[in-house]
Amino acid sequence: MEFKDYYQTLGVSREATAEEIKKAYRKLARKYHPDVSKEPDAERRMKEVNEAYAVLSDPEKRAAYDQLGRGYRPGEEFRPPPDWDAGFEFSGAGFSDAEAAEFSDFFAELFGRMGGRGARRGSRGRGEDHHAKVLLDIEDAYRGATRQIQLRVPAVDARGRVTVTTRTLNVRIPKGVHAGQIIRLAGQGSPGLGEGPPGDLLLEVQFQPHPHFRAEGRDLHLALAVAPWEAALGAVVPVALPDGRSLKVRIPPGAQSGRQLRVREHGIPGSPPGDLLLTVQVVLPPADTPKAKAIYENMARELAFDPRAEQKTEDHA
Amino acid sequence: MRDEEVIAGSLLEDACFTLEELARAAAVSPEWLLARIEEGLLAAGGASATQWRFSAVALRRVQRMHAIERAFDAAPELAALVADLLEEIDTLRARVERARPL
Repeated sequence: MEFKDYYQTLGVSREATAEEIKKAYRKLARKYHPDVSKEPDAERRMKEVNEAYAVLSDPEKRAAYDQLGRGYRPGEEFRPPPDWDAGFEFSGAGFSDAEAAEFSDFFAELFGRMGGRGARRGSRGRGEDHHAKVLLDIEDAYRGATRQIQLRVPAVDARGRVTVTTRTLNVRIPKGVHAGQIIRLAGQGSPGLGEGPPGDLLLEVQFQPHPHFRAEGRDLHLALAVAPWEAALGAVVPVALPDGRSLKVRIPPGAQSGRQLRVREHGIPGSPPGDLLLTVQVVLPPADTPKAKAIYENMARELAFDPRAEQKTEDHA
Repeated sequence: MRDEEVIAGSLLEDACFTLEELARAAAVSPEWLLARIEEGLLAAGGASATQWRFSAVALRRVQRMHAIERAFDAAPELAALVADLLEEIDTLRARVERARPL
């Protein structure tokens, strides 16, 4: 196991005061805030900063860490001596079990015995809820899916020490999910205290970018490429849905590029199902043969059409 | 538990959490939530606390407000203002995404 230099993570000296540590933490919490940070890997860095602060902001944990870590350099192989923490009483630093479970193995090894349980907030012995994100394809929303999810969960060993282990769950995701929705896995969170029931695992759904489709809630957007004559004269064209089915959609005559066509209840399934929204994109055939050129030239001669007529009227107004 | 076992998830609809469930999901106390609802920092529909239901968006807001209050010792009103701004960023990012050619 690698030794972690929490002072280095927060960019403070070993002699830093509690106020200096708090100040350094706040500066980094702003820098790596996952919603606004432009830093690469901001989420991971924020976890490291939270972990360092959980230790250094708590006087007992800091003292134990200082005593244990004397002489170690960051990244150096580290193994704590048995019962190294005798005489220390840990009391938590406001981080929940679920958050502490995301901290490093190094943290779990040192402070696993107390976890975040000192900070447990009145839930009558029920285990805490855990959170994870699950990345799905839009196709999964139509068909349902099974995803393997790996979780870091605290477990108590024979010596009463809490260690963090990795647990793999195969989760069936029902069809009809949309981005931002939450899937609840009852009883898959932290174990309860005593007779208390375990918490739940809450999965937040996110979609991977799709080359053709874009989902907004249960509505599904697709650019529909049409030939100029289909757009001008109207047509019935096939549209492939993410589940492999094909729809026939009527294009009204005179449909310009950018016009949106709504096909009700053919978006992501659910109650009610979403709509399929098609944005017409007129695609020009290339004028790369004498015959194709002749057709365009003929159109130019025969059609009294000025695509900029409206613009000219506006200019003179 | 065996790795091969498949666990079925249940989809939570838009207004899915009671006050107690929201508190548990966000790892805050119900009292923490009530104080912020009473101050108007967090919206709650329904006539009484037992009828209140909260969405996944509310959960995200509570997590953000709690994280800001904790990291910066921020006043709840300031944390709510930051959450408002982050929600506005979410809306604008979604608009940018919608404007991206398909």
